[in-house]
Amino acid sequence: MQVEKFYYDNRIVKNFAYATILWGVVGMLVGLWVSLQLVFPALNITQYGSFGRLRPLHTNAVIFAFVGNGIFMGVYYSLQRLCKARMFSDTLSKIHFWGWQLIIVAAAITLPLGITTSKEYAELEWPIDIAIAVIWIVFGWNMFGTILKRREKHLYVAIWFYIATLVTITVLHVVNSFELPVSLFKSYSWYAGVQDALVQWWYGHNAVAFFLTTPYLGLMYYFMPKAANRPVYSYRLSIIHFWSLIFLYIWAGPHHLLYTALPNWAQSLGVVFSVMLIFPSWGGMINGLLTLRGAWDKVRDDVILKFMVVAVTAYGMATFEGPMLSLKNISAVSHYTDWIVAHVHVGALGWNGMLTFGILYWLIPRLFSTSLYSKKLANQHFWLGTLGIIFYAVPMYWAGFTQSSMWKQFTEAGQLKYTFLETVTYMKPFYAMRSLGGTLYLLGTCLMVYNIYKTVKSGSLVANEAAEAAPLQIENVQHAGEHWHRWIERKPVQMMVISLIVILIGGIAEMIPTFLVKSNVPTISSVKPYTPLELQGRDIYVREGCYLCHSQMIRPFRSETERYGEYSKAGEFVYDHPFQWGSKRTGPDLAREGAGNLKKTDGWHFRHFREPSSMSEGSIMPAYPFLLEQDLDISSTEAKIRAMQTLGVPYEKGYDKLAVADLVAQSQAIADNLKNDSIRISPKKEVIALIAYMQRMGTDIAKPITSQNK
Amino acid sequence: MFKFIKQYTETMHAAAIYPMFSLLVFFIFFIVLLYFVKKMDKSTVTKLSNIPLDLDETTTNGN
Repeated sequence: MQVEKFYYDNRIVKNFAYATILWGVVGMLVGLWVSLQLVFPALNITQYGSFGRLRPLHTNAVIFAFVGNGIFMGVYYSLQRLCKARMFSDTLSKIHFWGWQLIIVAAAITLPLGITTSKEYAELEWPIDIAIAVIWIVFGWNMFGTILKRREKHLYVAIWFYIATLVTITVLHVVNSFELPVSLFKSYSWYAGVQDALVQWWYGHNAVAFFLTTPYLGLMYYFMPKAANRPVYSYRLSIIHFWSLIFLYIWAGPHHLLYTALPNWAQSLGVVFSVMLIFPSWGGMINGLLTLRGAWDKVRDDVILKFMVVAVTAYGMATFEGPMLSLKNISAVSHYTDWIVAHVHVGALGWNGMLTFGILYWLIPRLFSTSLYSKKLANQHFWLGTLGIIFYAVPMYWAGFTQSSMWKQFTEAGQLKYTFLETVTYMKPFYAMRSLGGTLYLLGTCLMVYNIYKTVKSGSLVANEAAEAAPLQIENVQHAGEHWHRWIERKPVQMMVISLIVILIGGIAEMIPTFLVKSNVPTISSVKPYTPLELQGRDIYVREGCYLCHSQMIRPFRSETERYGEYSKAGEFVYDHPFQWGSKRTGPDLAREGAGNLKKTDGWHFRHFREPSSMSEGSIMPAYPFLLEQDLDISSTEAKIRAMQTLGVPYEKGYDKLAVADLVAQSQAIADNLKNDSIRISPKKEVIALIAYMQRMGTDIAKPITSQNK
Repeated sequence: MFKFIKQYTETMHAAAIYPMFSLLVFFIFFIVLLYFVKKMDKSTVTKLSNIPLDLDETTTNGN
């Protein structure tokens, strides 16, 4: 048969490669900065640079900008070669590239402005959510177009991982982004409380699975054999790896919510599937590492293989740790602590970072038809990166374990041994060491930037790389006795549909009962909707990213009920759009901040917001002096009440018209109260609303807590 | 949300059927997967695993 000549598009690969490098450096810089803010709170400069607003910038930059562009770089390179075809459309490639970068820029602008949904790793507001969906479809269209016009009959395993990524991220993004817009930059989650938490962590966990893992596994299955110049260890294992991974991952989300108010059966289901996940994960890791069987001597000399080996090993460690962390007894210790931060950074710095670097060192010289400028520098990068991960992870494991133990320790008299603040100040040296680890890692990345710059300078871009292959013969008839999986391998659309079904099973089986069975969320009659001022205050709480350091979920442990009061019930959150349970306690839980022994005066809150260390010596919380300056935007009140009514919050009909009057009256009462405490402030300031929200928390089912020690 | 179907399922007393269903689906899925992977033809497996390396030219012309 006549072979066809065609050209691979390398320019788009180069663009994505540059983008991943640029955003990688930015994301790491912001990460380093926020880590330093925990050591030196004075680094919280202006409202736009406070921890609560920059931390989502760090996570979004690393996940969607650094890893995201890394995915697209690898996919656009490998897909063309695996399909023996140029990308379907250069225009779609360009729209995809520039669209994605614009979304990143939009995130970099809106997050510091405090425009956020407060759903972790899905913080971007609804207009950006729509843009993400559009650009993602462009990517899918381009990818499927390429697959359909391919010249290679079989779909190599890497492509399955890409297809599963495409399908699942689409589903996750759409389901988790159900929100009701109130204005151009403000929306409320469609779900409330427990359901919102379940959807969010179903999303959050699977964003890790299908954005940080499956596409990178696809890249591993392509670039590792390339770099080692030998086929993958076991193709059969890769089939089992693929199907079992995508099947199991989608169920595991509830392990983020162990011991919370989520129904117990959903927690147990999450645990079981999380534990099972170790098998496919390790199957994949073993498959990756054993690809180097008989070639381990190469690893000594080949820096690219070194990066890849550390990446796959980090993947193995993180996926061993993940199932362990999902056990309820371990989660009881690890949840809300820096242990989780260590865990995710083994994944992000080790697995995603090191694999991206390995691929870049392999790819850039090929795109520019030259050789790497300096292997020595790359080796130095490797060691800085590896040491950086160790210096990052070890102090964080130590910190997490220590802090959790301190939280749980009682004196012989049965009192909590440490105040929360004592556990925080004890963490500072660990936070400082973590920053050192991050600095090493970033330094390594800077060496790479220089190395790649010099490499690029020494070559010239092969924008269109010539290749030839015979066209694919059309075969619609399945051969008798042909293997079923080969039938799927040749049919991308079937592959997509089956992947979709496989991932939907898990999501549906977990969510439908939670949404539909009334007994899952027992109602509590004393739980009432927020007052308009509290609602506005809650939105400020969301805007400032308070949930990043403060949980609102008291687990049923004595150490928590002693410290924070009665454990949280599902029915307490029925009007919480979005939920604010949080995932980390850099500061104490706030679920009952306004009730029982935790209750403070309005004046205490006022002074604490102005300068936290004035009320809690050694506090690392940022100061919020701007809340004392800025007027609350009360013009949005009516629309917010109406939005809440639409979402099912039982405000009386027509209450939106009365809301502002109620808001003003409550503000005045708080301002008067502050005046009695020698604080003179206009009732119009934002801090008043936030104080109202603080004082509301936990009052619905107030019960005094027994211990004086908080 | 889901008001239109909620009324039928609120009274559902067998929520336990979901985890049981999940387990069965999982179990059957994997037995079938393992069976077919074991049955795969060795030469096909070799051919597939060589796709990225471009070693096996026969894969390019659709047999």
